[in-house]
Amino acid sequence: MVTVLAPTLGAFALPLLGRASLRARNLAALGLVAVSLAGTVCLLPSAVAGETTTVRFEAAPGLAFTLQADGLAVFMAMVSSLVSTIIVLYSHDYISHYEHQNEYYLMVVLFLGAMMGLVFSGNLILLYVFWEITAIASWRLIGFFRERYHVVRADKAFLVTVFGALAMLLGFISIYAQTGSFDLAAIRKALQGGHLGNFAAAMILLGILSKSATLPFHTWLPDAGVAPSPVTALLHAAVLVKIGVYVYARLFVATFSPSVEIQQIVLIVAAASALVSAGAALIDTDMKRIIAYSTVSQIAFIFLGLASGNEMGLVGALLYILMHGLAKGGLFLAAGIVEQNTGTKDITRMGGLLATMPVTAVAFLLCAVSVMGIPPLGGFFSKYMVFSGAIQAGHGWVAAVFLVGAFLTILYLFRLYSSIFLSQARMTPAREGSRVMIACVAALAGASLVAGLWVAPWSHLAITTVRQIQGMAP
Amino acid sequence: MNEFLLLVAIALPALAGAAVLVLTRVSYALRAGVALAATVANLLVAIALYSREFSCTLPWAGMGLELAFRAYHFSGFILSAAACFAFLVTLFCWNYLRGRSWAGLFLAYLLISMSMVNGAVLSDHLVALLFFWEGLLLTMFGMIALGRAGAFRTAVKAFIIIGISDLCMMFGIALVGKLAGTLTISQIHLGVGGLAGAAMALLAIGAIAKGGCMPFHSWIPDAATDAPLPFMALLPACLEKLLGIYMLTRITMDMFHVTKGSWASMAMMIVGAVTILLAVLMALVQKDYKKLLSFHAISQVGYMILGVGTAIPAGIVGGLFHMLNNAMYKNCLFLTAGSVEKQTGTTNLEALGGLWRKMPVTFACFFVAAVSISGVPPFNGFFSKELIYDAALERHPVFYLAAILGSFFTAASFLKLGHAAFLGARSAEHDAVKESPVSMLVPMIVIAAGCALFGVFNALPLDHLIAPVLSPQLQQEARHSFSGMPGNQTLVTLTLAALAAALANHLIGVRISGRGLGAVDHIHYAPGLAGLYDRAERRVFDPYEIGLKLAGGAARCGWAVDRGIDWIYDKLAVGVATMASRLVRLAHGGNYVVYVAWSLCGSAAVLIFILACL
Repeated sequence: MVTVLAPTLGAFALPLLGRASLRARNLAALGLVAVSLAGTVCLLPSAVAGETTTVRFEAAPGLAFTLQADGLAVFMAMVSSLVSTIIVLYSHDYISHYEHQNEYYLMVVLFLGAMMGLVFSGNLILLYVFWEITAIASWRLIGFFRERYHVVRADKAFLVTVFGALAMLLGFISIYAQTGSFDLAAIRKALQGGHLGNFAAAMILLGILSKSATLPFHTWLPDAGVAPSPVTALLHAAVLVKIGVYVYARLFVATFSPSVEIQQIVLIVAAASALVSAGAALIDTDMKRIIAYSTVSQIAFIFLGLASGNEMGLVGALLYILMHGLAKGGLFLAAGIVEQNTGTKDITRMGGLLATMPVTAVAFLLCAVSVMGIPPLGGFFSKYMVFSGAIQAGHGWVAAVFLVGAFLTILYLFRLYSSIFLSQARMTPAREGSRVMIACVAALAGASLVAGLWVAPWSHLAITTVRQIQGMAP
Repeated sequence: MNEFLLLVAIALPALAGAAVLVLTRVSYALRAGVALAATVANLLVAIALYSREFSCTLPWAGMGLELAFRAYHFSGFILSAAACFAFLVTLFCWNYLRGRSWAGLFLAYLLISMSMVNGAVLSDHLVALLFFWEGLLLTMFGMIALGRAGAFRTAVKAFIIIGISDLCMMFGIALVGKLAGTLTISQIHLGVGGLAGAAMALLAIGAIAKGGCMPFHSWIPDAATDAPLPFMALLPACLEKLLGIYMLTRITMDMFHVTKGSWASMAMMIVGAVTILLAVLMALVQKDYKKLLSFHAISQVGYMILGVGTAIPAGIVGGLFHMLNNAMYKNCLFLTAGSVEKQTGTTNLEALGGLWRKMPVTFACFFVAAVSISGVPPFNGFFSKELIYDAALERHPVFYLAAILGSFFTAASFLKLGHAAFLGARSAEHDAVKESPVSMLVPMIVIAAGCALFGVFNALPLDHLIAPVLSPQLQQEARHSFSGMPGNQTLVTLTLAALAAALANHLIGVRISGRGLGAVDHIHYAPGLAGLYDRAERRVFDPYEIGLKLAGGAARCGWAVDRGIDWIYDKLAVGVATMASRLVRLAHGGNYVVYVAWSLCGSAAVLIFILACL
């Protein structure tokens, strides 16, 4: 309960605090996010034990809202709040050069609060409300710099995701028509493992795909690269795009199963998404857009794991969410340092930054290698499990398409890394980032490494979670 | 005790590596000392593990992923060989790297690599194996990138090529998991038909790519000139061959039942034969000491794959013996190149010559290693090649022909190399050149002595190290020992004839061109070949470049689709919305009559609806 409410409500106090003291506001923002993290960690033991903590309150007669903390929710909340905490810490230095900081901290903390609310929601309407709060927060954050084309791109992100959300709402209403409830537990009971109507599933899928930036609703994500780097990190690694994936897991895996056709569609869309965006990443020359395309491509891998539906695939997908969150967060924060200190995002104008930014360069490399799925980084396990899950589910050909996507991942990330850090210097050497900023980047890279070397606790958490969703005893 | 030794074998080099990595403030001598001590300890542990046979399983990531290890004859043998080379190369590095700013980093990467190699060799679970196997990528990248300026390009190339082949392996492992229902290597027994065949091919791609076989070879010649020499001497020349062929043997002999008649055997032999010939032809015309050696590193792996691919006992034993022999003489050859480079400052054969008087020990070691690789009796390369010839001939004369032709060119190119570097006229600037320090000579001498020893007393490696590796079935099939002199005297005669032809070819070439380096110019610039060589040097045939072009083309398609979708949002959607609002605006022109018409229409619609309901 505190986990959700502290950031959501506390966020609104931040601008007021900002009038009194900037430092206090910054620390308070960090504190609020950290409270979420702490709250999640407190829920962890019960989640590992396979229990579900539920909070229920009546908003109006007949309309009860529930917050529930099961393994899936806690896992997701932990990943999000962990990465967010590091991002907010990083923001302290990054954002200190810009105006409208009050708004920034308000929106960032609100964003995370809404995310927490969303993952703990036990009710479709509540889920929808938080979903839209994240849309509003992301709209403001993407257009943070207020230039004309930034605002246009923020509008684009907002419109695409909100249209998706409206379609999803239609889907929710159609679920209501089928089962007579918005409550997840009630829906699960009403369906008894039967399939959900195709219309409802398709509508919800539209919402999920638009939020998770999957083909053909993905182009707002690269465009959102105009946002400040901590925001893009937040969008990509911690909060926004993972929402879609989470809701997929929550509804289509944990609550009811869509028909076989819908699963086929998800697989095909994900495969196309992985290839097209990996291709785009190999051509584009804007650093942040390349990383954004990479997110689109990697999200498709998560969908592959989820849509495989077996234990291996699901565990892989959950681990993928964690590993990708850590690594992608690190990539964006490192890119933020590069962007701020070189003043450009164009990789054709950079080069040789390894000499002047050694820590950032090494952290970037580790994160990139984790995204590629190379051991001893954490991404190895998630990639293997997703592949293995897909193959065990009999989707060998789809997995083969993803294999090509994985090849391209290596290519575009190395192209990016070489042109930023290795090749001939094409500009005056830039300084290394501030101490706090490089510490944040190094922490994320280190976390990716530790998660690979010592994978057992993470994978066991994922396994427990998956067994819980599948209704088996852990 | 067993488990403890095993963990030490994996953890000790990694921890020592981490220590060397972190201790940036202390002197080079201390860091190098730590590295050397760690490799000695590693060697001792490997020897202690050699005679033991046990398995142990540690919990790992769940979902059937376990850290299962198995020490048995084969893994112990590879482990000890790898530890030996690691120790000798580290000893060589002591003086070779002194004074370089990145020396400590290099040693740290080397130690961490050893940990990965040990882990990969001992693993009995495919995913654990892949973890260590693929873990080598990062240290390999680091070691290559430490070389001369611009080496990162080669490092990236190597990472991409090996990374992609390792992903193939990952996919293959996932397939094996589905087909066999287990990932424990010693429990997997599959055929090579259908999906299992695909799985085998994917695993084999990982194995032969690690070995540096065509078409995954093209980073090795680049690395020869860009990467630090100890890297070349240890990894591509030695450890990667050991790993690659070890894995290939386990794939074809233990995990999948590759028989003589199967397509897999045929495919491996073809890949092997093609690699032998193409790579040796490239080696022939090189004008750089290290680059020439690097093409041989590729060509020799062809012999091993050909041998293992025959799927008959003589071939497999020959392939494995050749793996061991090649690791020895190729390592030694690279070290002689390092010795020459350290003392003269160059490996360009145009600038070298007449060094034998100045560097007699280096020359002697080079000589032994060169005659070994050329297959001159009684050195070790002769015996392993004879076994492979024998097996290749049994399968098909074409493979024998490729192998013997490869030997001819190998001998020719080493005659040229030795002549150009150590004989002939010495340039004036090399008059003051001295022999290398003892710490660099000892590794070369030890290995060169090993080449002679393993040749003369070939029963030692063949009967004790290699023959027991064969699966029980193959051992029955073999029935006799492979040691001693080769049984087929005709083949020996043909080999000697090929060597004599190489010598004759060399003498003719020297007479035509007037110098040692020009000994094969009559082949290099022969009509028809000159153009091909020229294009090959310009990397027209480099599979990596071709692959990048293909990927670029595919990427452009993806990009076009992406831009098309974006156009729908940015242009089409906006356009449609604008058009629609314009149309609606037309209908709201402020004209009184139009408004009345609209409200009448609306009322009519309502009325119709009510009537319909009634």
